[in-house]
Amino acid sequence: MNHDFLLLLPVIIVGAGAVLLMLRAAFGKLALDSASVVCMCIFGLAFAAQACSALAGPEVPFKAAFNGMLMVTDFTRVAGLIILGCGFFTAMSSRSYFKENRFGLEEYYSLITFAAFGMLLLTMSHELMTAFISLEIMSLSIYILVGFNRRCVTCAEAVLKYLMLGAFTGGFFAMGTALIYGGLKSTKFEVIASAVATHGFLHTPALVGGAFFIIFAFLFKVAAFPFHAWVVDVYDGSSIPVTGFMATALKTAVFAIFANFLMLDPGLKGAWVTYLFYISILTMFGGNLIAIGQGSIKRMLAASGIVHTGYLLIALVAVSADRFTGSVILYYLAAYSVSTLGIFAALSYLSGAGEVRSQFEDFKGLARTRPYSAAAITIFLLSMAGIPPTAGFMGKFYVITSAIQAGQVTLAVLGIVSSILSMWYYLRLIINMYFHDAHESFESECTVFAPACTLILAVAVFAISLYPITL
Amino acid sequence: MIINYLTLSIILFCLGILGVISRRNVFTVFMSIELMLNAANLAFITFARLHVSMDGHVLAMLVIAVAAAEAALALAVVILLHKHKGVLDTNIFSLLKG
Repeated sequence: MNHDFLLLLPVIIVGAGAVLLMLRAAFGKLALDSASVVCMCIFGLAFAAQACSALAGPEVPFKAAFNGMLMVTDFTRVAGLIILGCGFFTAMSSRSYFKENRFGLEEYYSLITFAAFGMLLLTMSHELMTAFISLEIMSLSIYILVGFNRRCVTCAEAVLKYLMLGAFTGGFFAMGTALIYGGLKSTKFEVIASAVATHGFLHTPALVGGAFFIIFAFLFKVAAFPFHAWVVDVYDGSSIPVTGFMATALKTAVFAIFANFLMLDPGLKGAWVTYLFYISILTMFGGNLIAIGQGSIKRMLAASGIVHTGYLLIALVAVSADRFTGSVILYYLAAYSVSTLGIFAALSYLSGAGEVRSQFEDFKGLARTRPYSAAAITIFLLSMAGIPPTAGFMGKFYVITSAIQAGQVTLAVLGIVSSILSMWYYLRLIINMYFHDAHESFESECTVFAPACTLILAVAVFAISLYPITL
Repeated sequence: MIINYLTLSIILFCLGILGVISRRNVFTVFMSIELMLNAANLAFITFARLHVSMDGHVLAMLVIAVAAAEAALALAVVILLHKHKGVLDTNIFSLLKG
């Protein structure tokens, strides 16, 4: 029995669903509300298909037809589950956001589905050109989503910045692929792995240069230290559900391919581990410095995303390339995604028409008028800060434990220090919500979707913290 | 002979980087990015000749397709920006200050 089709079924569902949504929207056969339901159904179906195909071991789907360009492992499967979950909850909260802001087009849901298609393919890709194309499918859809509100000037500015820098790194990725192709005669990951294993990483200059360009592109996409400045502006400029989707699903996809590429061979990882060590420290503290100074919640969350990238880089430094499972990275990504998506879902119905409530001060006294929403936001913030018994605490616990086991005690200690620093800006919002009187009623004419999404994610924060993993 | 083409490719790539960093017009920046992608294409073709295989040609075609998609989006963004501000100088887009 061949399981090839089953392995690719989630990608096929999402891809076909995206095309279907785009066609229906183009012919005007689909109302905005039903488009969101169709989009949620597509993500739900793909999630079920991905969860069902729990076949053990790495598999290469359609080896003869695809020439080994895709590879499905347990790591990519769980990363796919996280991405599909993010897509589902984004579609859910977008519906309420559009009701509140009175804009929106059916194509929006199609673009989210296209982006998820690129992300799924990116996690599975086992060849550099496939990675490049799926990276571009993902990025192009996200660029459009960032600038989706055409009347808004800040959105246009955000998409300009993102497109310029994103295309710039795309050029680096293409050049890196060209150099590796020149050095090794192939762009397949297995060829790279065997070349590094037999000759060592420093054997050909083309491989060193190519790997440098490619890792540069990955570090840019995950917003690691020297390339983190764009994140705050781009996240601030785009609409709230899009920001949530970018912060979670995109980071999951890029970290999956980053880990897959870096863990090809211990030699490749060994050459980079020193740099990643310093990059992760600078990312954590640089992100904290930016986040502390922000007055707007969206900008604070964007900067805290940089800090979480730092923790994920710690996990990447600590993980061993010999027997790579990536469970720590995925657990942290799941915990981070749930809390970040949750807070963006809550903001998408609380921020009001045209996102009028965006600063810390605007949420003063939220707990008096909307106690349940305030409690949910508190849960998400505590999870991001790493307070037990939330998923965020367990994620940080596994990351720090794996760093200590790998002998990186300095990183572990600095990770804890950075997590204490980050309390400052998470608790600031909680203080604003609970210890002030309300100046307004926080009324919103929203549908039930975004509040339901917030509730599910708040439960998920605790549910994920109960799930055990092996380091 | 091969080395000359590679040198040209690297020069084009560096010119592209310089253009992105130093130019202030949105159009010129996008043209510089296209230059970087085409430098990669030239490198692909050169290496294909070096290895005597067709793989590099196929990879270059794929990069061209991606570059075309990106150019289409870039032009849409240029029109959007021109509608809002009437100029294409990147310095005046400073509402978001990180």
